[in-house]
Amino acid sequence: MDDIDGQILIDFFRAAATRLDMDRQRLCALDGEIGDGDHGTSMANGFAAVSRRLQQIKGQDPAPAQVMRYAASAFIGEVGATVGPLYATGFLEAARLLEERRLATTDLAELIDAIARGIALRGDACLGDKTMLDAWLPAGQAARDAADAGAGAAQVARAAAEAALRGAQATKGMIASRGRAARLQERNLGHLDPGAASAAVILEAFEETVTEA
Amino acid sequence: MPHPKKRTAKDTQSPKPPLRFGEDPLLWVSWLYYEEGLTQGEIARIVGASRPTVNAYLAEARTKGIVSIAISYEKLRSTTLSSALTERFGLDDCLIIPGEGGDRALIDRLGSATAQALPRVLHSGDTIAITWGRTMLSVADAAKDLHLRDATVVQATGGTTATIPYTPEACATRLADSIGARFVPISAPAIVSSPEARRILEQEPVVSEQLQMLGQVNRILFGLSSLRPTSTIHSSGFFEGSIQQQAQYGQAIGSLAGRFIDGTGAIIEGPLGDRTIGIGLDALRAIETRILVSGGYDKVPPMLAALRGNYVTVLVTDAATGEGILRADGLELDSPRPHLKETAPMVTPVRGRRKQFINRTKNAVDEALEGALMAYPGHIEKIGDTVRAIRAVAQKPPGKVGIVIGGGAGHEPSFLGFVGRGLPDAVAVGNVFASPPPDRVLACARDADDGAGVLFIYGNYTGDIMNFDMAAELAEANGITVRSIQTTDDIASVSDNDRAAGRGIAGSIFVFKISGAASARLYSLDECERIARKANASCYTIGVALEPGSSPETQRPSFQLGEADMEFGVGVHGEPGALRQPMTSADRIVDQICDRLFEEMALNEGDRIAVLVNSFGGTPMMELFILNRRLNQRLAKRNITVHKSLVGNFFTSLDMVGASVTLLKLDEELTGLLDDSCEGFAYSQ
Repeated sequence: MDDIDGQILIDFFRAAATRLDMDRQRLCALDGEIGDGDHGTSMANGFAAVSRRLQQIKGQDPAPAQVMRYAASAFIGEVGATVGPLYATGFLEAARLLEERRLATTDLAELIDAIARGIALRGDACLGDKTMLDAWLPAGQAARDAADAGAGAAQVARAAAEAALRGAQATKGMIASRGRAARLQERNLGHLDPGAASAAVILEAFEETVTEA
Repeated sequence: MPHPKKRTAKDTQSPKPPLRFGEDPLLWVSWLYYEEGLTQGEIARIVGASRPTVNAYLAEARTKGIVSIAISYEKLRSTTLSSALTERFGLDDCLIIPGEGGDRALIDRLGSATAQALPRVLHSGDTIAITWGRTMLSVADAAKDLHLRDATVVQATGGTTATIPYTPEACATRLADSIGARFVPISAPAIVSSPEARRILEQEPVVSEQLQMLGQVNRILFGLSSLRPTSTIHSSGFFEGSIQQQAQYGQAIGSLAGRFIDGTGAIIEGPLGDRTIGIGLDALRAIETRILVSGGYDKVPPMLAALRGNYVTVLVTDAATGEGILRADGLELDSPRPHLKETAPMVTPVRGRRKQFINRTKNAVDEALEGALMAYPGHIEKIGDTVRAIRAVAQKPPGKVGIVIGGGAGHEPSFLGFVGRGLPDAVAVGNVFASPPPDRVLACARDADDGAGVLFIYGNYTGDIMNFDMAAELAEANGITVRSIQTTDDIASVSDNDRAAGRGIAGSIFVFKISGAASARLYSLDECERIARKANASCYTIGVALEPGSSPETQRPSFQLGEADMEFGVGVHGEPGALRQPMTSADRIVDQICDRLFEEMALNEGDRIAVLVNSFGGTPMMELFILNRRLNQRLAKRNITVHKSLVGNFFTSLDMVGASVTLLKLDEELTGLLDDSCEGFAYSQ
């Protein structure tokens, strides 16, 4: 069975950067409804920064943990905003996990859980708070269920991406309790959380990477 | 009723309408009918026409719009909402109480509204279950006038700790008393320590008999708990420990009758299920009439889940919550901000692209910083090779505590205008309205540290907190002691007594100044932190926006504000404020700000304050002075001494038109520090 190696992760970050750049306007517009409208820019710029940094280690067959550390450092060094520290911490957790052991591509759930753990830790949020975790956490669960049912890497990744999208859609019925949207109280009802929407985009990028590998 | 004497046989021709009706018989007839209250026959005699003609006139008056029939807005809204909810969720009935209920608490209003509806749903001979909670107790208390024969009230669940007044026992006994029914308790705890304990208890003859009564229930009154951190469920003693720490309940969005449901209304099975004594959710759904009474925006997600899961046949809630549920379920309502309906025009003209001095959007922040560095070479210089981390040029005394400030761009001259001698030492700049990343804050901390530690001061925003926290962790790992304080001076964005939740806006300037003075006096890190916190706690700001700002990213307004509206309690990022209201005069706006500030600060005669009248970027000095004039009149009337006044662009929000007023309550210590000299390019004395 294939491992989640450095090259897959590099390809994944490149695919995510491309997708987020295409979705920049949509995500900004979502954020404009309940926040300050910069989410698309922060995410697209952040993943573009990751891709730039990864150019430095391209072709060196980097360890997967090293790729994650580079990604974290791009967010720590260049992103800021609200998403910067969240994804930086998430990627650091993932790096820590990948330093401990190799993951098979069907172990995607563990990678997603590690990222979600970091995000939850930094943002002090949990499921149902109308944040990106409402996409990441169901994605991890769906990936685990798919793998337990004997699915292959592509199906596991698809299950995760679909669950993330469903999770993002579900944020419409939630009231934010973190971030600027929380100050709107019930006025943010009916709006999709931009952080959850971009998380779904990221997991689609992973699905694309695994499917094409 | 007037009987004009002129009406005699010689009036064979129709008389002319009196002059004030402009010779318009339709208007005359309408007036007599609707305003004078005459019958159509009487009118026919007065105007000298047949009754059918009068009738036709009245009909024509309606079609021509001379007469319009209006149903009270509140009533109409309730009715519309109630039918929308009934239809969407297949309810038997839905009672919506108007959203604006004056001073009475929502829970009380829900209780009495439900009580009025009960005669239609509860009948003699019924076996009625009721759950627990504040709303249920209110229903039970209000249900006084309903007298049923042979009715029974059963507790829906076992009992809980008596530390709360709205236990299952209390709710059920009160309801039984109110409606004259027999009361059946469940003589067991709602949650027991193990599944075995539950089995044993349920086999006890007394409990077993009581539980059988639950099987005969044909009506249930129930409330819902959200699982948000502020919910009473966490303090009720119903569940021990934190529910959400238990992995199985991670998906739970609400709780009813001590059980949990997810966002779709599906039952969540978990370890508590086998230990809960009371009605199960499947059994609940089998009851003929299931009345949910609940309201408040935090209840919207669990209520929606309960409606989706078919737990409800009759819904009682308030208009705002009803609207929230429909919106959360994806229904587009004509106004997403119902409280604005009376004041704001429904159609807001959308302003297009604004003209701005921009080269390339993505370079705007860097180019602005480069220009600022060139303008004030005696004050600021960059740290390393990025213009996003900037230090004061001024020589610092050795052993001084370093102060690092920062935040998003777009607030100029904040924050870089407030570093220098007697002020903070370094500033980290992010993108427009976005926090700087940790590395940049760390670069500032390294530069500002002289062994005495570093104090971070920044606004209370989620992004800033996370980035500065990460920077603090990195700095600590580099052997630099860091303390952080968030400014929270915006009192409009928070409810009473929750100042720690406020946003940091213009008042931050006073906190920077005073903390800078403390560090310049070589106070210790502890002392600097204490003084910064004290300054922040003494600082109160309210902002008002008249026109939105426009971001260089989009060159479009960041929010929409009607031509005749203003946004009260606005922040500095184009976020909506606390209240949208009709535009009024400068003095009335200042009065409104003063009323709120004076009350919040408990300002007393003889107090001494500093004042900051700040432009959000698009309001000229002239208008700021007009505001300052009224502000000083109001302060003089209260006998408050203005020790210092700042008027101008200090903490802007791009080109937003609007202003904020900050009052800083001074004592001897703060006055001394505020009076120390300082030299930033935007603040020197």
